[in-house]
Amino acid sequence: MAADLERLRQEICRREEELSELKQRLADMEKKSVEDASDGTEPKTIHNGNQKLTNDQIGRYSRQLILPELGVKGQVKLLSSKVLIVGAGGLGCPAAIYLAAAGVGKIGIVDYDEVEISNLHRQILHTEHRVGVSKAESVAISCRNLNSSLNFITHKVQLSSDNAMSIIRDYDIVLDATDNVATRYLLNDACVLAGKPLVSGSALRFEGQLTVYNHKGGPCYRCLYPKPPPPETVTNCSDGGVLGVVPGIIGCYQALEAIKIAADIGTPLNQRLMLFDAIDCTTRTIKLRGRQVLCPVCGDNPSMTQLIDYEQFCGARATDKDQEKKVLPASSRMTAKEYQTLLENGIEHVLLDVRLPVEMEICHLPHPALNIPINTVKKDPSALVEQIKRQLASSGIPLDTSPVVVVCRRGNDSQLAVQLLHDSNLNIRDIRGGLHAWARDVDSLFPVY
Amino acid sequence: MDRVKVKLLFFAKSREIVGKKEADFEFASCTTSVSILEKLIEEYPELSVIAENVVLSLNEEYLELDNQELTLQAGDELAIIPPISGG
Ligand SMILES: [Zn+2]
Repeated sequence: MAADLERLRQEICRREEELSELKQRLADMEKKSVEDASDGTEPKTIHNGNQKLTNDQIGRYSRQLILPELGVKGQVKLLSSKVLIVGAGGLGCPAAIYLAAAGVGKIGIVDYDEVEISNLHRQILHTEHRVGVSKAESVAISCRNLNSSLNFITHKVQLSSDNAMSIIRDYDIVLDATDNVATRYLLNDACVLAGKPLVSGSALRFEGQLTVYNHKGGPCYRCLYPKPPPPETVTNCSDGGVLGVVPGIIGCYQALEAIKIAADIGTPLNQRLMLFDAIDCTTRTIKLRGRQVLCPVCGDNPSMTQLIDYEQFCGARATDKDQEKKVLPASSRMTAKEYQTLLENGIEHVLLDVRLPVEMEICHLPHPALNIPINTVKKDPSALVEQIKRQLASSGIPLDTSPVVVVCRRGNDSQLAVQLLHDSNLNIRDIRGGLHAWARDVDSLFPVY
Repeated sequence: MDRVKVKLLFFAKSREIVGKKEADFEFASCTTSVSILEKLIEEYPELSVIAENVVLSLNEEYLELDNQELTLQAGDELAIIPPISGG
């Protein structure tokens, strides 16, 4: 049954890709036949008295063509413009679909990653049966379904110092729809070196930020933030959470800014930073300082004339995926299976869960737990040690023999907690890999978030 | 020295660290941006980890970090804006 389901999913996926390819071929041939016709005796565009747009294009874009600000002139510019979207996620999806709808002639999508089920609440161009498919490809398929007349290029690579310049070179405008600090500095520097405007969006929890860097005398990312933040102060969507519509709104704004720049209309958001707060539905726009003459990359005498090692510069990997930390020695850790044995043997212990209460509500281990979030542990570890000792004493259990077991979602915060509570006389260990390991190695029905 | 009540607005990581979006805070009306940042960190020492990674704005205008004299008015809005990197 499960194998049948999987087979069917793969089949749907395969055919969808096939269909997408056929549509691209059809679009290419249609385009070619129009071009061929205009070389011959009966140009398809002659009847509308407009040499610049085909009848199909006039029909499709009519509702925006009649905007005086855009008009035929603006639409022609859009059709001949080339926009690169870096990141096919929560920001990239809405941005891509609106750029495709508006008729941006060439749309490039960079993403090395594959679709996961936990992406779908915000990465709205992917689908359930495309789980496991390339995100860049998935975005291209969805956009092609909306507008097959455009040219979609997928770059299924991780943007790096080695490939960034050659990828960006072919485009006029770049959208930063990435999810990590290192790639943001890389993209900024590459856009400055290549002389391209960078429409930057970001989102976390209920907040979004939007600006246009390196455009019309405005600053670049480094002009505002010369130093990368300490890695431990950076929260990603996986740990901090994000309401899907928030990157959705910011991604739409990114498409809007890119369209304005491409069509050369309106006032772009250069040298201004828009802050969006979804929980109160407020926006603020901050007037920024201009390009800094002393900026190492966009200044008058830049010290950086080529791309550097951004993971080293930021002290963090160029991904938003959580890395497994190794803080504790093996002797201070136990496996999920070992904890299962401890439970089965009925060994008295204190279970300390250092996740947030909201996470406890999602799922928790079968043994009653003391729930103290890691940030509370950090504030006053010695008070917690006393609390644990009292709890052990009230159960009449000797301190040194009975274990204190610390658990969290992935086994990173639990290590920090063990370290913080270390100087006591407690026999304290954490569960390696946290609840993810519990679900993987002990209880396959345990939910994973 | 005159003191004035200013509204602090915390965004992104600073909001997470401080645990609130807004706060009232008294500054000397005649001050500098460097001194403003110092006073902020005195009041909220946990902000020191991101002190070098924030944009400050006063009444929605970028606040250059320097020792130039500046005059605060009661009701001014001072925003602390670290970058968000997620998406
Ligand atoms: Zn710069």
